[in-house]
Amino acid sequence: MTRVLIVDDEPGIVASLRRTLRKEGWELLTAAGPREALRLLQGGAVDMVVSDYQMPSMTGVELLARVQERWPETVCVLISGWADSINEQILREAGIRTMISKPWDDGELKATLRSFLTP
Amino acid sequence: MRSHDNSADVPALIRIVVFEAPGPANDTLPALDRIGAEVEFLRCDRPESCAQAAADDEVDLLVFDRRSSTEIGNVLRAVGPSAPPSVAVLGDGSPESEALEAFRAGVSDCVREGGDYAEVLPVVALEQIRRWRQQRKRVVAARKIAWLEGYSENIVQSINSALLVVDVEGQITVANSTAGATLNADPLDMTGRSIDDWFPSDPMQPSLVRQTLEQGVRFRGAETVIALPGRDAVPIGISCTPLLDSDGETHGAVAIFQDLSEIKQLQQQVLQQEKMASIGQLAAGVAHEINNPMGFIHANLYQMTEYLDDLDVYLEAVDALVATAAEDSNPALTAALGRLVDTEKRIDFNFLRDDFRKAVLESQEGSERIRHIVRDLRDFSHKGSAERSLADVNQCVDTTANIVFTMMKHSVVLEKQYGEIPELSCYPMELKQVFMNLLVNAYQSIEEALAGGSQEAVIRIVTTEKADGIVVRVSDTGVGISESDQQRIFDPFFTTKEVGAGTGLGLSTSYAIVERHGGRMTVESGPHAGATFEIWLPFYPIAPSVEDS
Repeated sequence: MTRVLIVDDEPGIVASLRRTLRKEGWELLTAAGPREALRLLQGGAVDMVVSDYQMPSMTGVELLARVQERWPETVCVLISGWADSINEQILREAGIRTMISKPWDDGELKATLRSFLTP
Repeated sequence: MRSHDNSADVPALIRIVVFEAPGPANDTLPALDRIGAEVEFLRCDRPESCAQAAADDEVDLLVFDRRSSTEIGNVLRAVGPSAPPSVAVLGDGSPESEALEAFRAGVSDCVREGGDYAEVLPVVALEQIRRWRQQRKRVVAARKIAWLEGYSENIVQSINSALLVVDVEGQITVANSTAGATLNADPLDMTGRSIDDWFPSDPMQPSLVRQTLEQGVRFRGAETVIALPGRDAVPIGISCTPLLDSDGETHGAVAIFQDLSEIKQLQQQVLQQEKMASIGQLAAGVAHEINNPMGFIHANLYQMTEYLDDLDVYLEAVDALVATAAEDSNPALTAALGRLVDTEKRIDFNFLRDDFRKAVLESQEGSERIRHIVRDLRDFSHKGSAERSLADVNQCVDTTANIVFTMMKHSVVLEKQYGEIPELSCYPMELKQVFMNLLVNAYQSIEEALAGGSQEAVIRIVTTEKADGIVVRVSDTGVGISESDQQRIFDPFFTTKEVGAGTGLGLSTSYAIVERHGGRMTVESGPHAGATFEIWLPFYPIAPSVEDS
């Protein structure tokens, strides 16, 4: 079963993403921050990590860069409320496939994530 | 004592031209040699050489030693009015008439040979030399004074600050050309006029110049305004100092001032830009904070409609169940069914089911609107837009229009006709400021027209590409601008709005920004005919000159 990890320190975002992706048939794991996310990943790799950008201990870009380093097969997606400081180059260097802005369009979000997971 | 005084007066070297008589020498030269420590004789025996020698500036005295009055006359005429003083030494036993003739010929004094003439001659010569030298000193001093006068006049006229000197009555005695230019008058016509003509004074509030004149107050870098006929008050920076005589009495005042209009405008412009920048930062921060909760509100609302779809499927099954159960005679089932129908009635279930969906859809629409507002705010304050960059002018106009539109409470119809235009190298933040100024002005003008009974309320934004640049036109159906106001509409501090409603800087700042882009801004309007502002932004601006000179 496809495993997807959602990382955001905002519980509302985690819950709403869970709702949005509920019917995708994926196993949804959630973490309230980068540390928890890395701990979860130690227990078993996932197919995709969807992470918020602004978080207390490290940014989503830093987290996803580490994920890419350890688990290069994992699809990394960033989700951010503020896109200004992040450019294409930063995403490319961290191995992030795409960035989704908050608030997102449900249909688009689902279509984008599905496309990354279809072989 | 006297001789000591004389020797102090007279510089060491004395030059004397002597027109000598032929024949044996007399005591003239030895006598003259006693005048000072160093006496230089230029001895001549012909009138031409004598006249030539005497024409030298450095000659102190011309001595005619036993020459005829005719010869004396010829020499003095040849030397002309700049001739040094001359003394005639007359022959021993010459008649009285000869002295008279020598005087007539133009000598300054006469001495007759014989007796104690060797004692008298140096005294007479020295006296002439002393007078001559004093006179020459006065001439030199007068020349120096004249030069200094011209020099200081030149300084006064050339300094870049306006300078006025007034007498104790407040009448202008000196006005330089900058003062004339600043006060819109001919500096020559200003002298003799009252300072109050330009610096209005009243008994309760005397002008700064009056305060200096009457109370001896000094001002440095004070700010005030001056009244100019037919023009708005001009802000100036002024320094005033009383002119004191040797007794310490004020006998006038000096005022130095500069027109601050331009500086004030620049200050306001900087303030305005800082304000825009901080609004941008604030908007950015707010947008970020809003986006997180908006993220899940938005997602949840969409999820809710899906839930409702699922619930509808479920409720259809419930409806079928209820219909089937209604045909059954099981009393427990009938009672339960009754309770269900009662509850449905009590909570107005059919309305609730309908309205729940409506409420969610309306909330969705609301959240969609918030999403757009936040996106526009974010685009408006996009980082880096303060620097020169390639930008889509349509997008600049659009995000600004969307923000201003939210302020317009939808009382205005916004028509957008965006042409296909290429990206432009520009300062996007500044251009947005220009568009915002134009749109807010258009909106305020329409509000005024609506209050006056107008039915139309349209702002039209048109962008088009021309061969050499981009044209943005903002038209409104507002009250319009009169011909005379159109002349001044881009002047700093010019406003037709009520006091406090406008700074009078919006359009002048916009004008300056467009100029900085090498472009032009023009206005077309008539009273009650609305107004159209047109901005032309060139693709390849010619760099504006640093200073107009």
